[in-house]
Amino acid sequence: MNVSCLQENLAKGLAIVGRAVATRSPLPVLSNVLLATDQGRLKLSAMNQEIGIVHWIGCKVESEGEVTVLARLLGEFIGSLPNERVDLQLDKEELTLHLTCGRYQANVKGIAAEEFPPIPLGEGDPTLVLDAALLRESIEQVAMAAASDDPRQYLQGVAVIIESDKVVLVASDGFRMAVRTLAVESGVSEKTEFIVPARSLTELSRILTDSEHPVEIRLTQNRNQVIFSTGDIHLVSRLIEGTFPNYTQMIPADHQTEIQVSTLDLMQSARMASYFARDGANVIKLEVTPDDEKGNLTITATATELGDNRSDLEAQVKGEETLIAFNARYLLDCVDAINSPDVRIELTGSTSPGVIRPTDDTDYVHVIMPMHTVR
Amino acid sequence: MAPRWIIHADLDAFFAAVEQRDNPELRGKPVMVGGRMGRGVVAAASYEARAFGIHAAMPAARAQRLCPHGIFLKGSYRKYQAESARVMDILSDYSPTVEPLSIDEAFLDATGLERWKGGPVVVAEEIRERVREECGLTISIGIASSKLVAKMATSTGKPDGLVLVPQGGERAFLAPLPVGDLWGVGPHMAERLRVYGIRTIRQLAEYSCDALQRAFGVWGVQAYQLANARDARAVVPTRVVKSVSNESTFPHTVFDRTTLLHMLMALAEEVGRRLRAKGMRGRTVALKLRSADFVTQSRQTVIARPTDATDVIYAEAKRLLASFHLHAGGYRLIGVGVHDLTLAAGGQLPLWLEPEDRLSQRDQAVDAIREKYGMGAVLRAPLVAPAETWVTRVFAGD
Repeated sequence: MNVSCLQENLAKGLAIVGRAVATRSPLPVLSNVLLATDQGRLKLSAMNQEIGIVHWIGCKVESEGEVTVLARLLGEFIGSLPNERVDLQLDKEELTLHLTCGRYQANVKGIAAEEFPPIPLGEGDPTLVLDAALLRESIEQVAMAAASDDPRQYLQGVAVIIESDKVVLVASDGFRMAVRTLAVESGVSEKTEFIVPARSLTELSRILTDSEHPVEIRLTQNRNQVIFSTGDIHLVSRLIEGTFPNYTQMIPADHQTEIQVSTLDLMQSARMASYFARDGANVIKLEVTPDDEKGNLTITATATELGDNRSDLEAQVKGEETLIAFNARYLLDCVDAINSPDVRIELTGSTSPGVIRPTDDTDYVHVIMPMHTVR
Repeated sequence: MAPRWIIHADLDAFFAAVEQRDNPELRGKPVMVGGRMGRGVVAAASYEARAFGIHAAMPAARAQRLCPHGIFLKGSYRKYQAESARVMDILSDYSPTVEPLSIDEAFLDATGLERWKGGPVVVAEEIRERVREECGLTISIGIASSKLVAKMATSTGKPDGLVLVPQGGERAFLAPLPVGDLWGVGPHMAERLRVYGIRTIRQLAEYSCDALQRAFGVWGVQAYQLANARDARAVVPTRVVKSVSNESTFPHTVFDRTTLLHMLMALAEEVGRRLRAKGMRGRTVALKLRSADFVTQSRQTVIARPTDATDVIYAEAKRLLASFHLHAGGYRLIGVGVHDLTLAAGGQLPLWLEPEDRLSQRDQAVDAIREKYGMGAVLRAPLVAPAETWVTRVFAGD
């Protein structure tokens, strides 16, 4: 292998695939990045137990070849080089990659490319095509609701439910649930459902930050992996086995109290209250007083040892007066995910789930189970 | 900084005192509570019994030899727990910072109570009065600037005493006491210190800290600090529970698996009940077996989701038991424990219930019934009429 490319492209490419390099793998080759010439471009691949990332960068190919080298070492070395041409030359006998860039050079020992497990790239028509920015926004709205360490594996993932004209992303840790619906233009022939680890989607979202290309989504033949392709980057993730609870059943159909309040006001007050709540069980209380014109939403938190806090927010309140307690983090996560200027909170007493949604958008719903309150 | 005032309160001969209170015929007599059927140990001895040299943790057989006319009672742990809760409630009326140390003793931070209640002595007198009036028990109290000195002050005043060690007088108070009395120094340690010529706390306090460190490591430094009455430990309102376990010594050697399983079920019920009462769940279930010839074996298993459900604890313990090749010589003790505890969601309601959550809810309903009508009010079928009838008695705590 003998190729040349720009330091900037190579460094950026290595940083992207570097997110998938295994940190503590029993398989040494998984600590490496695979470099391979592929139809006039340089293909970089890395993978761990959960995800694999493949990224093609532009280069000049003198001769074909492939090798794997320690990802961290290569990344750090390339990252320190000036933005000039980098020549990569493989000594096939010694399995050593010779790197040259201006006055700098290095020899990095490698492991044969054959030892690197194949990463499926997916063929044929995609199951689904989504706008990158839209998908990214949606992931950010649901992924935080997944559990981080629940033994129920499916709660560590985001369920992707594909129906004829829409895709629904759902995540829940058993206490709160975020549901985002995306309209799909091209009709999907078959209804399908799979669970992607939330961490994989967070990585995808990071990659999508600069992507202008749409995202093609494919399932592998045996349906145990999903492939997201956008431009010259592929992200492959394992899927989580199991069945996600029926999310529609967990969204209350009706409510007794309806509150409309400024998202910013709610965010600020909830954050303030969370400082007082964090020493205890992280409980913040919402007290609602109805009035057609000038209703009131009071947010309070009490730290037995430290003190307490109270915010009175102007709100439109319909229905019954009520008091409910939420985990401060759940409320903050939820409000943070809402982009509209106002939010609507629907409550039914202090022991039923609260429903929170943007006022101008029916595509996002967040359900939070309350905490016990002692009046 | 304002001086700290820590109160240590310890019920006198607690279990025995409860029995004497409830049965006037026992008053003034040597009463011992604990296993009485040949095996087991004395859990508590009345002061009359202590006159015969009997103390807690002494094998019951030995106690019986020392005091043949002594009255042995099996006692009811449930009753003592309820009594303990009443006393702890009284204590918490005087300070939000109450740290129970065991069923019969607790620390209470009385710093800053001077203006409100007229100082720690007034508070202590009032506590002693109320425990006497409301519970019919005597409680000894020690007051000092640290936990260590307060606890040791209590012991010097027992029974039914109140000892205050003034601020600044801590070292002088500790100095003459034998080093074995220092809280944290066991008989073994006291023996090792004797080799260095250290018999009293004064000698320990005046010994070279460096030499103690060389000889005993970190522990040596700690002991030196304590001997010099340097103890900054705070009263921590709730103790972090790391595990919940129960074990039971059989009245006679048990050979059959069925009886072991029955005991396992009774113990799983108790462990589950205690977990639920604490609002804790655990991920590790452990089984302990002791053979008739005193060989102790234990095994444990990790489960997927932390649990507080009796059925789950029992099923895991049963699997562990099945993994043992049973000893032909029979068994004298079996125990079940749940470790690796986490707080069960702490007031956070779940969006939906998993099957195990339902088991746990059912158990909580049973707990509530038993709380009101006694442990025997609801029994699992195998415990209604087990081949060995004592199994149910052990379980019901009567």
